[in-house]
Amino acid sequence: MRWRYIAYLVGILAVFLSLSMILPLLCSFYYKDQSALPIIKSIVITLVSGSILYLFFHKSSIETISQREGMAIVATGWTAVGFFGALPFYFGGETGSFVNALFESVSGFTTTGSSILTDIESVSKSLLLWRSLIQWFGGMGIIVLSIAILPFIGVGGMQLYKAEVPSPVPDKLKPRIRETALTLWRVYLLLTLAEVLLLMFGGMDLYDSLCHTFTTMPTGGFSTKNLSVAHFNSFYFDMVIIIFMLFAGINFSLHYQLLKGKPLALWKDSECRFFLFTVFLLTVVVSFNIYGSVYEKIIDAFRYGAFQVVSIITTTGFATADYEQWPEMSQVILFLCMFLGGSAGSTGGGMKCLRIMLCFKYCYNELFSLIHPHAVTHVKIGGKRIPEGVMKSVLGFLALYMGLFAFCSVLLAGLGVDFVTSFSAVAATIGNIGPGFGMVGPAENYAEMPYLGKWLLIWCMLLGRLEIYTVIIFLVPEFWKK
Amino acid sequence: MKIIIVGAGEVGFHIANRLAHENKDVVVVDINQAAIRRVSDHMDVQTVIGSGSSPVVLEEAGLKNAEILLAVTDSDETNLVACLAAKILSPTTKKLARLRNSDYDKYHDIFRENSPNIDTIINPEIEVVKTIDRLMKVPGAVDIGEFSEGRVKFVGILLEKDARLAGTYLSELKEKIRGQIPLIAAIIRNEKLIIPRGNDRLLPGDYVYFISEENSLLNTLAIFDKHVEPLNRILIIGGGSIGFRLAKLLEEQNLNIKIVEKREKQCMYLAEELNRCVVLHGDGSDQTLLSEENLHDMDIVVSLTNDEEINILSSLLAKRMGARKTITKINKFSYLPLMSAIGIEQVVSTRLSAINSIQQHIRRGKVLSAISLKGEQAEVIEAVALESSEIVGKPLKTISFPKGALVAGIIRKEQVVIPSGNSMIEPDDRVIIVAKRKAVQKVESMLTVKLEFF
Repeated sequence: MRWRYIAYLVGILAVFLSLSMILPLLCSFYYKDQSALPIIKSIVITLVSGSILYLFFHKSSIETISQREGMAIVATGWTAVGFFGALPFYFGGETGSFVNALFESVSGFTTTGSSILTDIESVSKSLLLWRSLIQWFGGMGIIVLSIAILPFIGVGGMQLYKAEVPSPVPDKLKPRIRETALTLWRVYLLLTLAEVLLLMFGGMDLYDSLCHTFTTMPTGGFSTKNLSVAHFNSFYFDMVIIIFMLFAGINFSLHYQLLKGKPLALWKDSECRFFLFTVFLLTVVVSFNIYGSVYEKIIDAFRYGAFQVVSIITTTGFATADYEQWPEMSQVILFLCMFLGGSAGSTGGGMKCLRIMLCFKYCYNELFSLIHPHAVTHVKIGGKRIPEGVMKSVLGFLALYMGLFAFCSVLLAGLGVDFVTSFSAVAATIGNIGPGFGMVGPAENYAEMPYLGKWLLIWCMLLGRLEIYTVIIFLVPEFWKK
Repeated sequence: MKIIIVGAGEVGFHIANRLAHENKDVVVVDINQAAIRRVSDHMDVQTVIGSGSSPVVLEEAGLKNAEILLAVTDSDETNLVACLAAKILSPTTKKLARLRNSDYDKYHDIFRENSPNIDTIINPEIEVVKTIDRLMKVPGAVDIGEFSEGRVKFVGILLEKDARLAGTYLSELKEKIRGQIPLIAAIIRNEKLIIPRGNDRLLPGDYVYFISEENSLLNTLAIFDKHVEPLNRILIIGGGSIGFRLAKLLEEQNLNIKIVEKREKQCMYLAEELNRCVVLHGDGSDQTLLSEENLHDMDIVVSLTNDEEINILSSLLAKRMGARKTITKINKFSYLPLMSAIGIEQVVSTRLSAINSIQQHIRRGKVLSAISLKGEQAEVIEAVALESSEIVGKPLKTISFPKGALVAGIIRKEQVVIPSGNSMIEPDDRVIIVAKRKAVQKVESMLTVKLEFF
């Protein structure tokens, strides 16, 4: 383990992060709010610490890095970025204690969208922009971004990429990792631009459309309004955001193919079909469930039902309605949606559709071989056989995910949080969704969580964003052995 | 520049690795998952699992916009079919195939020139036999390459402790040597490659690489205290296809050859095909057999069995028993750095030969040949200086060459010019450039026509 090299890369990330703070600073000058000084302080601290690490360790550049080191770099990188990203909130004073600021920042970078802010609208515009911006960075991945724009990370980029974007079936769009990262970011940028324009077309001002787009595309879910998207109360905005949440929940390499002129790319992909079909089915069930009991008109039931289902299933976490007032069945469905998540290779969190799909197929195969003991069967996706090793790691992932969910829920309940809240808070953070049920429902927030509970949930968010393995590996003693 | 490599074996792996380091877009295709895994774990390339001879797989690998297809699997048939499929799918892609079977020997040239679907055929066994032949002829050489149809040699030697030049600074060479000064292109010291300047020294134990015209080669070697020794008695251990080829070649040169082969059947075959050569049935590491056959009087022992460990041991044994010089065939690249440590200097490898001959075809510009130096740290490129390329018509010192690259020689018509800072490269000269791996890409772009970028 070459810690010097890891420190060097963390230094680069910090320098890079400090530069990105210039945007909220400009915003602060523009709106003349009081956040300029806190942001400048944060820039200085981040830049200085980053430069020190960089200058101190920059001679340690090496040829290749191992998979283990790749994981260590990504995990420490994300932790460091979460820490530095918290500085503007901390100096700004709205969050109170540092753990709150850290919670907000990690919730941003991991695209969770859980907040500890009770009155969002009282926070200065520049800090809210920063809050949205970090979600946007976190969505496609800060490491992927660094690979795309910093040429010197090209060394060992593949290991870093695998640690940050751990897809069950890795696919590389371009022969080179840097090209792949650039392509993904271009697609991301293009979709972002499209959403901003569509929102502005509907009459939202530039600032709000930017902030909401920055949190839709990464399936983050931070809003600049206390009531989230419900604030705008507009059918048009709801629909635009639903569509872009769906886009964000689909594998970005499919979008790339779509842009390359293959209109059927989305439909040809079995995971994408599964994802869209699930969304459609659940929307119909939830809409009929709330039709009559909550909403008088069918169109309203559909509008709110669809928004909430899409928002939770893509792990965005925007709210247009307080779903805790809905019938129990809808609530249970939404809770289960938290585990489902978007497609592999999307910006969504959760377990990912692909894994669920593979798991279903695997179970079916098991049943099938009980009926035909001599049958030879393979788990296939899109007509291609899934290798045994991949299947094993998927099952391992699902087991680990559920195990950690159970373990963290017990811990949280042990800290004095009630039954529903402990389950849903852990599910909502480990799946990077945002709002949960009970004390942390769409109308409330995470401010009332106990001190240690916040630390636990911060860890859960990182766990979920980096897909368990990259973070949990630090707890395995074997990892530290030389 | 996109390159598809079919076959992730040792040759495919190393070519892919080198190209990936030069920032080329590389796609590696292999049917073996473990081999693909080894590739994707080690380098930044795209991988496709599937048979390289399948058009569907080739299409998936992006053949349509690939510039070059290298078919280098262990199976000749797969390579041929891959090229055929590629020809149909994408006629503009340049296609190279590796063919190993000696049955193709007779048709090597016909295949190379007339086969409609293949641009170049590489037969590493032929290349290796050529390399062995060259190594034998040049005393003391550990590495040898040819440029300009053999008129210019690129030779690497081991500087002995008692050599006259040991400890000399390059800037002092003029005072020490009367006559022409050899152009020292590279030094390998402790596995590290140095592109030397005036203030670098030659130390005993260094591998020194220099460039020399063929007719002054022996004089140059004499400067390094390497003298011609009579070459008459040769023992070849291992009568497989390479051993047979070598024996056949040497027979034509009227040398005394003995060949040891373990398999009886193969011995019968060899005895039938070879006329003057003594075919011995036995084990190459059998000491009694070797001393019976006067191993201590042998000028050169060449170990060419298919088992690298046996080759290494036979060579060590032969050295110990008094053979003057040994040449050892080794295929595993991971063994190469160990060889000088255990006292084996002359090493050949079919895979290295294959890589060397493939290399010249994948370089841009008008590259005539390219040879990689030990451990792939550097490359020596011979190229035609195109009229519109950056390097033509200016004194060398004004050209901003990338760090780690050196013009080692200029061949103008029949003459070799050892360049100085004031030399100018004229259009249609051939230049020989030594470049470290990192500088290769820049050198390549300097050699290409400027217009290509517009």
